[in-house]
Amino acid sequence: MSELRLDGLDELDGLDELDEPDELDGAGGLDGVGLEGALGARASRGPASSPGVKALRGPADEPAAEASAGSGAGPASGGKLAPPPTATLDPAPDPTATLDPAPDPTAELDPAPPESAAPSPKVGGESLAAATSKPALRRGAVDPVKALMHRHRELCERAVDPLEIAAGLEAHGVTDRTAARFRHRDVFSLAEEMYARVPRDGETPPERDPVPGAPGAGRGWAVLALLPGALCAAAVAGVRLVEGQPRVVAAVAAIGALAVTLGLRVALGRGPLRAPSGTRSRTRAWWTCWLIAYALLGDGLLAAGLDDGPHGRWPLAAAPVLGLALACAPAIWCAHLLSVRARRKLAASRGLAEFADSVRPLLLGVFVLYMCALAALLALCGALLDEPAAHAGAGALGALLLFARLLTAHGSAHAPAVVLCTASLTEAFALVTVFASRLPGYSFLAVPVETVVAAWGPGAVPTLVCGTAALVLLVHATRTLTRASAHALPSEDT
Amino acid sequence: MDNRPSRHRLVRIRSSRCEPPGERRLPKREIGGARVRIGLLTEGGYPYVSGDARLWCDRLVRGLERHELDVYALSRSERQEDEGWIPLPSHVRRVRTAPLWRAEDGGVAHGRRARRRFAEAYGELAAAVCTARAGGLAGEAAGGGSEAEADRFGNALYALAELARDEGGLAGALRSEVAVRALERACRAPGGLRAAREARVPDLLTVAAHLERALRPLSLDWYEDDGLGSVDLCHAAAGGTAALPGLLARHFHEVPLLVTEYGVPLRAHYLGASGDAPVRALLAAFHRHLTVEVYRQATCLTPGNTHARRWQERCGADRTKIRTVYPGMDASRFAEVGEAPECSDPHTLVWVGRIEPTKDLISLLHAFAEIRRAEPKARLRIVGAAAGGEGAAYLGHCKTLAAQLFPDEADGVHAVGDNPVSFEEIGDPAVPDLAEAYAAGAVVVLSSVVEGFPISLVEAMFCGRPTVSTDVGAVVEVIGGTGLVVPPRNPRALAEACVALLRAPERRARLGAAARSRALELFTVEQNVAAFRGIYLEVVSRAPVRKLVLDDTGEPLPFGAPAESRVPGRWTESRLVTGSLGVAGVAGVAGLGLVTGRPRWALGEPVRATTPARATGVPPVPPATATGEPVPAGEGAR
Repeated sequence: MSELRLDGLDELDGLDELDEPDELDGAGGLDGVGLEGALGARASRGPASSPGVKALRGPADEPAAEASAGSGAGPASGGKLAPPPTATLDPAPDPTATLDPAPDPTAELDPAPPESAAPSPKVGGESLAAATSKPALRRGAVDPVKALMHRHRELCERAVDPLEIAAGLEAHGVTDRTAARFRHRDVFSLAEEMYARVPRDGETPPERDPVPGAPGAGRGWAVLALLPGALCAAAVAGVRLVEGQPRVVAAVAAIGALAVTLGLRVALGRGPLRAPSGTRSRTRAWWTCWLIAYALLGDGLLAAGLDDGPHGRWPLAAAPVLGLALACAPAIWCAHLLSVRARRKLAASRGLAEFADSVRPLLLGVFVLYMCALAALLALCGALLDEPAAHAGAGALGALLLFARLLTAHGSAHAPAVVLCTASLTEAFALVTVFASRLPGYSFLAVPVETVVAAWGPGAVPTLVCGTAALVLLVHATRTLTRASAHALPSEDT
Repeated sequence: MDNRPSRHRLVRIRSSRCEPPGERRLPKREIGGARVRIGLLTEGGYPYVSGDARLWCDRLVRGLERHELDVYALSRSERQEDEGWIPLPSHVRRVRTAPLWRAEDGGVAHGRRARRRFAEAYGELAAAVCTARAGGLAGEAAGGGSEAEADRFGNALYALAELARDEGGLAGALRSEVAVRALERACRAPGGLRAAREARVPDLLTVAAHLERALRPLSLDWYEDDGLGSVDLCHAAAGGTAALPGLLARHFHEVPLLVTEYGVPLRAHYLGASGDAPVRALLAAFHRHLTVEVYRQATCLTPGNTHARRWQERCGADRTKIRTVYPGMDASRFAEVGEAPECSDPHTLVWVGRIEPTKDLISLLHAFAEIRRAEPKARLRIVGAAAGGEGAAYLGHCKTLAAQLFPDEADGVHAVGDNPVSFEEIGDPAVPDLAEAYAAGAVVVLSSVVEGFPISLVEAMFCGRPTVSTDVGAVVEVIGGTGLVVPPRNPRALAEACVALLRAPERRARLGAAARSRALELFTVEQNVAAFRGIYLEVVSRAPVRKLVLDDTGEPLPFGAPAESRVPGRWTESRLVTGSLGVAGVAGVAGLGLVTGRPRWALGEPVRATTPARATGVPPVPPATATGEPVPAGEGAR
């Protein structure tokens, strides 16, 4: 038996799982009814066509009739005189082989007794009629392919190709010799006839399998989305508690930053914002950290720099960072909403253009939803931490990060990386110009930043930079995220 | 049925008696032999421990020790890769593997021109796939229409392959919006497949993902001059995906392709297909086109049985290039049993196999009931394990039925009873191995309703046991005239045949002997290997690879690949062996097949090109013989 498996040749007779045992037996019963009954009628069309003679025909008659029909011999009418089917391939026919085909009247083990097989629940109306009443039997004899099609109607309706029917028939044991009984040269031409005869007029499209949902990877991601916010809140609270002891504050802040980073990784590592494998980019993570660090420290440093500082410690802006950390949760939920809705639209739309048209408002709606949540969170954090409520920069940064992550998660990682890099470098450049303008003769360097800050305050620099970057990514996202290929399920590589 | 005699080319040159013993020549010499470098292409197969058909491939490889083999294997899963390889013989010079289960190039971004090329080629491929056939299959019609359609598909495929070779991997592009859009356009085009016209966006995405997986071999780096370009012959161990690299090697380097199919991948695809109708229609069309293209381009097709042959002919394969080569099996295990047919119990029937619903044991049990009525001493032994949960349920069903049909019997009032039907497994005390299982019975029975290539029947034939089998699958082809064949699902006919054999011991012996001799002639490993050896030589002699060797100025070098390079074994003087071994070994490791088999004056800075037109683009191959004296080539790198 091990040889069977090891040889790999056993796959030839594989694919047997298509047949369930009871189904097979049912088919066997049907075979006896529809096929052999019909053939028997055809073979003995002469005097044997009266019901009484039919009833008298012993069970041994059927194999003989089948063998003669199966061998494709023309005179199939001599069913009773046909040689026993077993002797056909014997090289040296032996006198003992001619068994006495005397039918045993007590044969309770009759191979396919029509009467007993007829009440099978699988028998449809047609072959049932063919088995029970005589005129119907004759009709079955006229069109045996119809009975075969009825038996394999699921296969026929499902088939997209004659070859598919041929493969299915072969898997059900139909051979060329069986096909010869249907007056066909081989299974292929039989399958072609069956394929051509499947009614296809005005059929309703068959019901479709539901589109599989997003890869959930467990339901934990929805709760884990709260992790960065919780950690950040704890860190801010810790810093506030130990205020006054600079060393302890630094230690708590460092631990808090580390914890928030790890929490962020965990939260984004699963769920709808998970980056597809193979697109991990260290640099993008660094740029993101830099942008967040600027949101925390940058405004104060810029203001101090323009003021010829910094003189000692400049004020930290904890509220925007806390707000952003808390906004992770709505971001992930919004991304989930987007993917679920988009997939639903994917299933409903007939064409790519239609899909793009329907996804675009969805994308913008989800974006607006997220921005509302972010604005509310930022206002809440500002109120709780008693910080000025100018959080336009943090809002722009939130939008930028959302789009960067969304695009990465949907497979276009290149544009977000470039835009994040550009935004970070621009912010860094703004800081550098401010401090470089202190060099003699280079005071003109700070003019653009000074102008902006004079007009709208130090928060305007990240607002402008991140806002522009987010706008660029928004435009990019409306082009790429409305493609169907962006919402394809990741391939189930096994 | 293909009953050609095995293709032995072995001629024994006997030394005449007058020769003194010292001058006797070697007893064995192969006439017309040549050393062939074979690229064996497998998919989820040969070198892997868990691969399909690896026993067959292993026997073939070990039988070809006079040739050189490069194995190119595609693995199917990570688990398969982790399980490692089976030990390889020494004349396998190189094994290159690639995973099919993972796209290797996520990050290749193509330029604008490459994107346009891709869009054109993929659009053409999609259009060829979606075009409805006018008439029957390619083989039936064989008219200009199907020919042009096949050409269209092939050209698109090769255009994609060239793009992949020039610009790097296609995995990203094959899943991109460009590909999906091309598919949509092809589906909506007039004259397309009826089922494909209703394709929705998810269907298009599924098809694109599947095509990406199916076309992964295009992105491999196997098609260089020192890869598949350096072999004389590609032998694909299966059709479908495994043959795709061979198809490309034929396109790029004119390497002849030999495809062996023991199963039909297209048929397996049809049976295993799932999903909505548009998806199945598109994928079936793609696989059918691929199969047709493989059959068109293959130099020789070797189906394992008539069933596979019929499918190949149906899919347009030219009959003149189809040779049926039966799978070889190890006959030595059954030698002892086969030589002693009288050791069997004359009243015992044996059934051996995997227990599955398609084996129709129910029918066998009913038949046995009739046999018992005629021959009360008859016993039935069913040997085999259930396959899967379904098989286990079926086995339980069969056991219940056997218990109902046949009450336990005893010889006398005081003896313990026993059921005439026994269910056993290989390894039980009564049945220690497979040969013993066959040895126990006077007649071996096969009652399947569905069967491919019936291995248990071949084993029974090796054991010299007469068989009674149902007329399914390749049974008639295997059994020839050496056993009884009855219609499937006909217990009465089965019973009659069994009774006839049980009552006629002489006939049993005659049929058994005939079966054994037939099996020994047709189904042995030696027959299989010899057939392939002959086919290799024939293919290579008919379609030699024109390897043009260029010198450093780009001029073709006459006699750069001399005929001597094909001479098997050692043809040089023995004193040069030591010098050449090292160099040839280096060349073998570096995969520079062109260096071996070249005379010494041809060893300069050679440049090899398949065609002169492409010669300018081929980088010069570094000289492998930089050090030491140039050596005569022709030494096989062993």
